[in-house]
Amino acid sequence: MAAELTMLRAVIVDDERPARELLREYLEREAGVEVVAECANGFEAVKVIGEQRPDLVFLDIQMPKLDGFEVLELIDPGPEVVFVTAYDEYALKAFEVHAVDYLLKPFARERLSEALALARTRRAAAGGGSATGAAATGASPVAPGHLAAAARRPGQFVERLLVKDGSQVHVIPAEKLDYLEAQDDYVAIHSGGKTHLKAGTLADMSAGLDPDRFVRIHRSFVLNVERLGRLELYSKDSRMAILADGRELPVSRTGYARLKELLG
Amino acid sequence: MHPIFASRIRFALYLAGWFTLAPLLAALLMLLHPRPFADALAFAGPLTLFYSSACLSAWWVCRAHPPTGKNPVRTLLTLFTAAVQASAVWVGAGALWGAILARAFHVDPGRDTRLADLVPLALAGVPLYLLSVMAHYMILAFESSRAAERRVFASQVTAREAELRALRAQINPHFLFNSLNSISALAAPDPEAARRMCTLLGDFLRQSLSLGGRERVTLGEELALADRYLAIEQVRFGERLGVETHAEAEALRCLVPPLLLQPLVENAVKHGVADRVEGGTIRIDALRRDDSLVVAVENPRDPDAPPRRGAGLGLENVRARLDALDRRRTRVDVDRAPDRFKVTLTLPASEGDGAPGETGDGR
Repeated sequence: MAAELTMLRAVIVDDERPARELLREYLEREAGVEVVAECANGFEAVKVIGEQRPDLVFLDIQMPKLDGFEVLELIDPGPEVVFVTAYDEYALKAFEVHAVDYLLKPFARERLSEALALARTRRAAAGGGSATGAAATGASPVAPGHLAAAARRPGQFVERLLVKDGSQVHVIPAEKLDYLEAQDDYVAIHSGGKTHLKAGTLADMSAGLDPDRFVRIHRSFVLNVERLGRLELYSKDSRMAILADGRELPVSRTGYARLKELLG
Repeated sequence: MHPIFASRIRFALYLAGWFTLAPLLAALLMLLHPRPFADALAFAGPLTLFYSSACLSAWWVCRAHPPTGKNPVRTLLTLFTAAVQASAVWVGAGALWGAILARAFHVDPGRDTRLADLVPLALAGVPLYLLSVMAHYMILAFESSRAAERRVFASQVTAREAELRALRAQINPHFLFNSLNSISALAAPDPEAARRMCTLLGDFLRQSLSLGGRERVTLGEELALADRYLAIEQVRFGERLGVETHAEAEALRCLVPPLLLQPLVENAVKHGVADRVEGGTIRIDALRRDDSLVVAVENPRDPDAPPRRGAGLGLENVRARLDALDRRRTRVDVDRAPDRFKVTLTLPASEGDGAPGETGDGR
C-alpha cells in the first residue's frame, strides 16, 4: 500500500500578488502540501521562515530590500528551496546554493508538480522529512560565506553585509563598515559606532569585500582603510592603527606590509 | 606610402603626364640645337623619367606644409626652395646623363650643346616641380574629404546602431514573462481581468512595433504607449504602483524619436516600485519652454537598494539616441538624490505638419 504522503509545509515569497496567488492556487490543488505563509518581501520572508520553519520555500529572486539569495543567506538551513523567477540567468547560481528546482515564469502546473516531487524525494533521502532544522536536511548546508560568494555577481564586490538579529535584519553597506573583528565563531561588524555579531569566519566574510578598501591588518582585524587616521609604532615589530574616531587596532607585521602596499 | 601608388589609375595618369612631356622636351632641344629626334629623345626620355620620380618628393613637402598653414609666405618660400633644389638635382643628372650618352653611346651633340641643353632643364625644372606640388595638394584635399565622408558615414552607422539597440531593448523579455505569469494567475480566479490583461499586452506590443518603425512620433503617442505599459505593470504591482502624468498640450504635439521614454519608464518602475516594499509613484512631466521640449521622469528609490545588473544601460541608450539626433541641442540631466531619481530630457521642440509619422527634421 502506498503510504500517505507526508505533509509539506510551504512558504511563498514573491513581491507580486498575482504571482503569489498563482502559486497558492496550484499548490492547493496538489496533495500533501500546505501553504503556511505568503511573504511580499525579503525581510518578511526571513522573519516568517524563522518562525514557521517550513519544509519548502518558493522564492522569487528580484524583490525589494533583500533578493532571494540574500534571504537564503539569512535563514537557517533546513527548508528546500524552489526559485520562481522570470530571469533564467540565475539558474546556475541557484543550483550552487543547492536549490531543489528553478521554475521560470510563466510555468505550467505540471512543472510545479515536478518541483514538488523533487523536493519530496530529497526530503525522503534526508531521512524522514521532518523539519528539525539543519541536521535533518539532505542538502549539505552551505557556509554563509560561500553562499554570499555564490550569490555575488561575478566581478563584483560585496556591497553590503546582512546580519540577522532575532527576527530583524540589518543591512550594512560596505562603505559604512569601519572594521571587522574575529570573535571565536563570530565576526563583530563595527559600523558607525554600532556593533553587530554574525556567525562565520573573518576570512569568509572579508573574502568578497573590495580589496582596495579593506585590508586584513591583523589575524583578527579587517580594516576599512578610509577610516584610518594614522599609524603608530607600538613595539619593535608591531604597530597601532589609530582610526579617525580615535579607536586603536593592532597591526601585525604582515598587516603593515599589506597596508603599505595598498597605500603606497 | 606615397598616395600615387595607392591606386593604379592615379599612377598611370601620373606616368602618362610625364611621358607626353618627354617628346615635347626632345622637340624643344631639337629646335634650340638641331640634331636627330632620336638623339634628343635619348637624352630627354630617361631624364624626364628621373624627374618624374624626383617630383614625387613634393608629397612630403606638401604634407608638412598644408595650404591652410598659418604662415603662407614661409610655405611658399619652402616650396620654392624645394623646387629649386629639385631642379638643381635634375640639371646635375642631365649633365651626368649627357656625359654618359657621349662616352658610352656616342650620342654627342657637342660639348657646348650639352651645356646649353642644361638651360631648358634648369628653367623647366622649377615650374614642373611646382605643378607636381599642386597635384599633390589636390590629392591631399581629395583624401581628407574622403576621410571626412567616412567619418560622417561611421557616425551615421553608430547612430543607426544605437537606434536598433534601443528598439530591440524595447520589448524587455522579462516584462513579457512576468506579464504572462500574471495572466496565468488571473485566468482561474478572474477570467475577465485575464482577458483585459491580454488586450492591454496586445495593444502595447502592437503600438510599440508600429511606433518603432517610424522616424519620429509625437510625444502624445509616446506617452500613450507609456500609459499602456504602466497599466500592465499595475496589474503586477497593484497599489504599489502609482502614476502621475502632467503634460502640456503644446508639448504633446512635439516630435520625438520613437520609444525614447520607454527605457526611462521601465527603470522608474524597476527602482521606484519593484525595489521598494511600499512601492511608489512615478511622475512624468512634459512641457514646452520656448524652442525646447522638456520631459522629466521621476521615481522614488530605496537608498539601501542593491545595485541591479544592467542598471544604467537604459539611460545610456537614451543619451546615445539624443546625441545621434542633435548633440548640441539635446541634453540629459540626471538628478540622483538618495531617495529620489529624476531624469530630464531636453530636446529641440519641433512639430509635424499635423501628419503623424512625418519624417521630422522640423517644420
